[in-house]
Amino acid sequence: MVEFSHLTKAYRKRVAVEDFTLSVDAPIFGFLGQNGAGKTTIMKMVVGLLEPTSGTITIDGALSMHPIFKKKLGYMPETPYFYEKMTGMEFLRFCDELFGNGNGATAHYEELLKRVGIYGARDYQIRTYSKGMRQRLGFAQALVNDPEYLFLDEPLDGLDPIGRREMKEVMRELRQEGRKVFLNTHILADVEEICDEVGIIHEGRLLYAGSVKKFCDGKPLEERFMEIVDAHERNRVQARSAHKGHREERAEGGEERGANGKPHHHVHA
Amino acid sequence: MKNIWVIAKNTLTLEVRDKILYGILAFGVLYVLLMLFMADLVLRELPMVKSFGLTGIYFFNALVAIFLGTTSFFKDIDRKVAYFILSKPVSRAQFLLGKFLGLCLVLLLTSAILGVAYLGLILHEHGGFDWLGVLAIGMQYLEMVLFVAFAIFVSTFASSLLSVVYTSAVFFLGHVVSQLVSDASQMGIGGAKLFFVKVLYYAFPNLEKFDARSLAIHAVGMPFAEFGLALAYAAAYCALLLFAAIWVFEKKEL
Repeated sequence: MVEFSHLTKAYRKRVAVEDFTLSVDAPIFGFLGQNGAGKTTIMKMVVGLLEPTSGTITIDGALSMHPIFKKKLGYMPETPYFYEKMTGMEFLRFCDELFGNGNGATAHYEELLKRVGIYGARDYQIRTYSKGMRQRLGFAQALVNDPEYLFLDEPLDGLDPIGRREMKEVMRELRQEGRKVFLNTHILADVEEICDEVGIIHEGRLLYAGSVKKFCDGKPLEERFMEIVDAHERNRVQARSAHKGHREERAEGGEERGANGKPHHHVHA
Repeated sequence: MKNIWVIAKNTLTLEVRDKILYGILAFGVLYVLLMLFMADLVLRELPMVKSFGLTGIYFFNALVAIFLGTTSFFKDIDRKVAYFILSKPVSRAQFLLGKFLGLCLVLLLTSAILGVAYLGLILHEHGGFDWLGVLAIGMQYLEMVLFVAFAIFVSTFASSLLSVVYTSAVFFLGHVVSQLVSDASQMGIGGAKLFFVKVLYYAFPNLEKFDARSLAIHAVGMPFAEFGLALAYAAAYCALLLFAAIWVFEKKEL
């Protein structure tokens, strides 16, 4: 089980993820949100690329950034970049060696490349790969250590329809093998098709988490997604106007001014 | 430790495939071979031939060190290739040290290639093996290692271009300042001016410690203590720079 507890990531001028609390045990869980919602930031914190400002992430009870946990994890970054002068095979071997493996595992790498459909290009330098092939290689390297948990950031971006279908099929196979898959996406159809559960994220906050079917409640996912985001926006605007009105009231009344005539400073949690 | 070696080995493999490195190296070898012609111009005077050869090796290795040191680590971060590495059981310190070790291996290779060309030239011209030349090339190598450590340190917080500027400035000041301090004390200059130069002297690495070229040119041996001191100085300075680089890199948001 993956547990996010009061997770917050703040940069100097903005909060990317705010008080994010969630427990996930679904085989395929999709983080759904608009661009800039905070999905990538959450995934980067899980795999240790970013440190949370506060809060924790635990996997099977252990802190996710612990090196032992990292051996159980596979991660595919959004729009993966590679060492252009390496071949696909060399890159997989390099990634595997970082887990302390790599000796005589050629058959394993070949199998992975066949699984993601780029076996034919295994000995070509990555600089010759198309965007779709790079996505597939990114997927393959996430599987190189036979992980229990997979974190895939926009794994279907840049793939053609056949590629998308093949990668979704691989994800279903991973579910059958008992692995847990987390994927970030802003494509609603992907979530509907392959995710068991979904987490709707908007401006760094979790708006919903649970089964896709329950969330849709008979309506199209797109419609429900827009409803929940719009409702959140409305609530936020209302809360802001109420807060502003309250401040103006205080300023006009002057009842909260101090003895020196200056207003007290209120700290809002 | 194993991860450091995996990253170092990978860095060496990738840099060896870089055409820019080949270009610099090809010009380096060409320069050393040009010495065959220049030897005739200086009437085959051994000190002159040695001087041209060792200076050429120094210059081309410095180019390699500055080029690799300022781009290799920075590119991995800037192009996000590091995401693949750091999401695996690899600490940021291991990644940085692996890159450093890998670049040191590349420099060892380029020093060896240029060194062999130089030694071949000396053998051809004078029929002897230049042991002191080997020592001078070894000392130059220590200086290059220090450049790489400095360049990686700067790359943790500055862009590639800025790293080139800063590393080149250190290259220049590291040689000039120690000479200025020595000249000032000989000429009896003191006061605020000397204090300022001394501040620079302690702030920047003293690269003159690694200059064994003039000794090799005039066939004067280097005292073992001086060699040991230079080695310890390079090790300490590199350790300090790498420690600072790791400290900055650990805090960097990727």
